[in-house]
Amino acid sequence: MHKGYLCIVLHSHLPFVRHPEFEDFLEEDWLYEAITETYVPIILILERLLNDKVNFRLTMSLTPTLISMLQDGILQERYLKHINKLIELAHKEVERTRWQPEFNQLANLYLGRFYESRHTFEKYNRDLVRAFKAFQDAGKLEIITCGATHGFFPLMEVVRPSIKAQVLVAVSHYENVFGRKPKGIWLPECGFHPGYDEILKDAGIKYFFSDAHGVLHGTPRPKYGVFAPVYCKSGVACFGRDLESSKQVWSSIEGYPGDYQYREFYRDIGFDLDYDYIRPYIHPDGVRINTGIKYYRISGSEEKRPYDPYLAQQKAAEHAGNFMFNRERQVEYLYDFLKKKPIIVSPYDAELFGHWWYEGPMWLEFLMRKIAFDQDAISMITASEYLQENPRNQVITPSLSSWGWKGYNEMWLQGPNDWVYRHLHAASERMTELARSFNNTDGLLSRALNQALRELLLAQSSDWAFIMGTGTHPSYAIKRTKDHLLRFNRLYEDIKANSVDPGWLADIEYKDNIFPNIDYRVHQ
Amino acid sequence: MVMLRRIKEKLKKVMRKSVGRKKVTPDISEKKFQQKPEAKEQALGIQEMAVERTKFSQPEVARAPRAMPQDLPYGYGQDRIVLQVRDPWWLHTYWEVTHATYQSLQARLGDSFHSARRVLRVYDISNINFDGTNAHRFFDIEVGHDANNWYIDAAGPGRSWCVDYGLRLPNGEFITIVRSNVVYTPIEGPSWITDEEWMIPDDLFARLYGMGFGLGRSSPVGKAWQERVRRALFSGVLASPGITSVSSPVKKEAQRKFWLIVNTELIVYGATEPDAKVTVQGRPINLRSDGTFTLRFALPDGKQVIPVKARSSDDVEERTITPIVVKETK
Repeated sequence: MHKGYLCIVLHSHLPFVRHPEFEDFLEEDWLYEAITETYVPIILILERLLNDKVNFRLTMSLTPTLISMLQDGILQERYLKHINKLIELAHKEVERTRWQPEFNQLANLYLGRFYESRHTFEKYNRDLVRAFKAFQDAGKLEIITCGATHGFFPLMEVVRPSIKAQVLVAVSHYENVFGRKPKGIWLPECGFHPGYDEILKDAGIKYFFSDAHGVLHGTPRPKYGVFAPVYCKSGVACFGRDLESSKQVWSSIEGYPGDYQYREFYRDIGFDLDYDYIRPYIHPDGVRINTGIKYYRISGSEEKRPYDPYLAQQKAAEHAGNFMFNRERQVEYLYDFLKKKPIIVSPYDAELFGHWWYEGPMWLEFLMRKIAFDQDAISMITASEYLQENPRNQVITPSLSSWGWKGYNEMWLQGPNDWVYRHLHAASERMTELARSFNNTDGLLSRALNQALRELLLAQSSDWAFIMGTGTHPSYAIKRTKDHLLRFNRLYEDIKANSVDPGWLADIEYKDNIFPNIDYRVHQ
Repeated sequence: MVMLRRIKEKLKKVMRKSVGRKKVTPDISEKKFQQKPEAKEQALGIQEMAVERTKFSQPEVARAPRAMPQDLPYGYGQDRIVLQVRDPWWLHTYWEVTHATYQSLQARLGDSFHSARRVLRVYDISNINFDGTNAHRFFDIEVGHDANNWYIDAAGPGRSWCVDYGLRLPNGEFITIVRSNVVYTPIEGPSWITDEEWMIPDDLFARLYGMGFGLGRSSPVGKAWQERVRRALFSGVLASPGITSVSSPVKKEAQRKFWLIVNTELIVYGATEPDAKVTVQGRPINLRSDGTFTLRFALPDGKQVIPVKARSSDDVEERTITPIVVKETK
């Protein structure tokens, strides 16, 4: 009989980057890379597990911005162009490496992967969200929502109507896409502040996740630590992250992804090969970028050795075994000690799997198969299933927390990015003012108000402050923040003066076309 | 109790910078008003952030600089101050005071307006209904005339705060211009409040607490796995090499100063009848429509024999030319 549960959560998110006004836009590659390296590989493992009738459970957040991009016709068309280029490059690589068998087998591997990626993309009619929906409908995957544009809630504390709008827009978007309400939410960056549970409750959300200290520093003291959910006063459940299992996957020191058998992320032929040869496959402006074809493994010394897919696969299997073994011991230990079946919550960025840690999806597949067949101490579960089984839980108020650098708000509130809040908060207040003063509208005015909320939400993406905070290449993030705020401010003034320019409005509606069914009235 | 405290100490090291204030009520004169948040260092969440960063890993394009939009307004024409929590120890505040407000203050105060200091008054208002006079304590931070935001080292986890921006006149009088919202700094350790119904002995909670943070010692996991690997190695179940690197360190950033990389590639090109069938080293290749072809190979050390064979479309004629290339690296 099993003695505890494992809840793996993959948080999938990219900010809304879509520039129909340019033929080619560098930052759109974030999406194309993630499709090839993360989303398609995850879809393929879930397909295989389903076909093989493996019993598994997985939770994934798909953010509204990511879903919107995955379902966007222009970006779908561009992904196809992107993957076709990669296929062409991989063909050339197969030829070029003819006399270097160790690289040649890798070129062939990439070629196969790229074809597989294109095939999968086309199989789901270019809409990968359908794949995830199918897994959810099959009862194996629980898809949860997130803030509409991944705004960081704790730094919207003074403008709570914006938090409400982030949640309500996300929930109605989810309903449109999946045909039901979301049961749970991934709070952007795990950012929680006491009281946000009320907003979630009003939106019909049953649970969220927080970082370990959100629960452990909650009041009163949580009896089961992070190994059982707690209820907030509103009745919304909070599941705390287990840092031990997290560290094994995340950590560069103790974690798996740094193993020397694994593929090196930082050696890419986009940078390594002769400029004239690689030129057609890098940025049209001639800047070298990652192509996704990487031939080396991580190694301790300066001398890089070619990647060996077979050894890497062995290692991924071994690491999956290690992870499972550790969870078994953890669960057995906790079961004896708590006299109750613990739940181990292990959340990760989905893009860690495949993009950063190339073997990650393979590891995940090994892990889920092993858990199904090789042991009986742990059983995989989703948060909503756990709550159904264990409806009685302690009531506490979790503490302010995030899973960001140092565990609070500093990643998004420091020298390079603190200037944004003055403007974001002012815009939020203006939006509330608009929503309150215009109750019944139609036509141009209603369109302008809805667009104002779109612009505000897009400006709020935590990604912009995050990128500014990392300190490298912030110009795109700065530009996006300013662009959306300036569009918002102009809309605000035009609406108040009753002088909305239909031509300009149509132009920004075309550019920032996210959330077609948005209703500005939610921002109150 | 001792154990819990020890874990808390350890945790604090993980979560905050190494030097920190522990006093909840610091002596005001001791305050370093200008203190700025320190540089980044290894701490909680660092890996999550590092991974998240790779999602946006493209270099900046050196093309004609993207047209930067016009600038955002400097202010929004309101008197306003906003207080935000950065973490259990630090607050951040930004404010705006309109020209009109300063003008009316000037009219009211006359000369003393010019000699007044611009000050942030930080009130500790935990568990009270603050009416402007009943704070537990307060301290002032003098800010420059140009400042419009400030990081405040409140050093008081688990307390409520409110900030006034105002003028301190030469006679010591303080005039509030704007008052902020109230914020609450989170506690930096487990709550001392327990719940009768969900009671847990302190030592057990301490263990649970440490486990939740993955601090290892209280968890049985690490050792058992090593033991199993050792056994498995000898029994040959896990034959993969490098078993000792179960927790291998990630590569250290190479400290290169000067470096050189040389690679060689070989270009083989030629032409024949456009409809001919051509093989290179036995493998068919595609011709361009004019019958020319170009192949490019990475050229390792050693000898490459490269027979290029063309056969006419009617299979009657055949030509073979075989370049031989020897590459050596010294």
